[in-house]
Amino acid sequence: MNMLVKIASRNIWRSTKRSLIIITAVSIGLWAGIFIMAFYNGMIEQRINSAIASELSHIQLHHSEFRKDYEIKYYLPDGRKMLEIISKKQGIKAVAGRVIIKGMIASAAGSSGITINGVMPEQENVLTNLEGKIIKGNYFNPKKENEILISEKLRKKLKLNLNKKTILTFQDKEGNLASAAFRICAIYKTINSPYDDANVFVKTSAIDSLAGIPKAINEIAVLLESSKAVPEIQRNLKQQFPKTEIKNWMEISPELGLTVSVGDQMVYIFMGIILLALAFGIVNTMMMSVLERTREIGMLLALGMNKFKIFQMILLETFFLILAGCPIGILLAFATIGITNRTGIDFSQFSEVYSSFGYSSIIYPTLSWNQFGNIVLLIILTALFSALFPARRALKLKPAESLKK
Amino acid sequence: MQETVIDAHNLSKIYDEKTIPVYALNKVHLHISRGEFTAIKGPSGSGKTTLLNMIGGLDIPSEGFVEIGGTNITALKGNELIDFRLNNIGFVFQSYNLIPVLTAKENIEFIMLLQKRPSKEREQRVLELLKQIGMEDKINKRPRELSGGQQQRVAVARALAPKPQFILADEPTANLDSVSAENLLDMMLKLNQEENMTFVFSTHDQRVINRARRVITLEDGKIVADTLPTTVEHKNS
Repeated sequence: MNMLVKIASRNIWRSTKRSLIIITAVSIGLWAGIFIMAFYNGMIEQRINSAIASELSHIQLHHSEFRKDYEIKYYLPDGRKMLEIISKKQGIKAVAGRVIIKGMIASAAGSSGITINGVMPEQENVLTNLEGKIIKGNYFNPKKENEILISEKLRKKLKLNLNKKTILTFQDKEGNLASAAFRICAIYKTINSPYDDANVFVKTSAIDSLAGIPKAINEIAVLLESSKAVPEIQRNLKQQFPKTEIKNWMEISPELGLTVSVGDQMVYIFMGIILLALAFGIVNTMMMSVLERTREIGMLLALGMNKFKIFQMILLETFFLILAGCPIGILLAFATIGITNRTGIDFSQFSEVYSSFGYSSIIYPTLSWNQFGNIVLLIILTALFSALFPARRALKLKPAESLKK
Repeated sequence: MQETVIDAHNLSKIYDEKTIPVYALNKVHLHISRGEFTAIKGPSGSGKTTLLNMIGGLDIPSEGFVEIGGTNITALKGNELIDFRLNNIGFVFQSYNLIPVLTAKENIEFIMLLQKRPSKEREQRVLELLKQIGMEDKINKRPRELSGGQQQRVAVARALAPKPQFILADEPTANLDSVSAENLLDMMLKLNQEENMTFVFSTHDQRVINRARRVITLEDGKIVADTLPTTVEHKNS
């Protein structure tokens, strides 16, 4: 085996140009594969983090019937008590109660279907940093009741402005239409334009009585210190509030999970294309190497080197080529990810497009060690698999015929 | 009586058997005993290399069989045949065919590594062979750093390394200048005399033919003359 290793490792430098081509192909393949995965990870991680931090939180509690049709009659009568209990639990970063109502916002210019988020200003701000998203105006004034936060998108659509009044209409607990005028105290903007299009914020106290559930709430949002604690705390809450529906962010927003899985598939398609190109490169290079050395391989067979050893030799040569290419690709990938993770990749010129899918226009690539290991393993396996074809070709050589060449 | 090393029975190699058969070898019988120094001569296309390939187990005869030291190698298949070659037959090729990425020492040692000989034995044998071929000072040179004659000497040492029953050399002097060719022949004759090593050459080279102690002449795939060590020429039946 030592001699095989020696021959194989020296053989790769017999045709320097060819070896450099394959080493370059491996480096670029590895770099591209790692970077694409990191880029995609960055996108998804930001989307998930932003969805959790700004919209969903880690865990939500509702009446078991509420999420079927979002009817206000399915509220949490002991919601405020539950809030107090949950806020005292370990691992909880923030918790807030909400009154969620599907309704309509209207102005002189038109109307739009929206979700009215009745929020507790202080708790909500800790939970979702709502105040931080304001681009114009001021956050809820404790002394004023009927204030509303609308998005920049909705403002443009309904031709509204700061301090102007708008009308919210919705069904109350009994199914009667209720409406009230709200003054716009602030305009907000998030990275998720569909979300902006469909959400307005008022105080719970401004809406609970109108909805027929005074001092009550119909949603509790819980943000945890760490995402890893979700299953444990969810289980714990289920035990404590068995009649309440307790869902984590993936269960609440399955489309987010779908985004992750579709994105995963896209990355695998990209990886597949990269690996296919790499495989063709390796098959081509190693096939040339085998054909150029037909006589030499014939001589080795004649001298008594068995076919398994010839096979091993070709595989080892490929393996060494990859080993030479891998560090370069890995270093390139680490450098690129390291730099872009700090600076971000700015796609501001396409911010409208990114925002319409709920993504930030600045991407910060990131990669876990596990994913990194998988890519390296995939590259090595692809390369070795590609070498099987030329190795098989070498095995078919007949010494007497090969020695004539 | 000398022990028979090579015994070829009724060997034929026919190409295009189904259309117009071409006989590269035609019913050849050949016996070579231990210690012979035999040259096989004949014009191009007479079947010299084909005969050598059959004897060396590199090609399969269309008819007949070859026995090496009593083993019918024609019946051996795949790795069994490769292993037999490894342990019983030494090869020297016209264009040296050393492994270009290995040094002279490693090229000689290579075969013994395939035989899984212990490292101490390998080391000892390599040094012994390098001394025999007079190349102790070129131990770490790669083939491209050696002359044609030196490369062919290393090839002979490599062929001798596994202690084979005989050495087959296909036109070993064809690419060498006259001085190198003479030196190589001297060395092989010395090995033949001192170690009783059997050599079988295919050659066009009159220098080799002149030094051989048995000359077999092939024409159109048939042995037409066989000059025995006693220099008595026998017409082949």
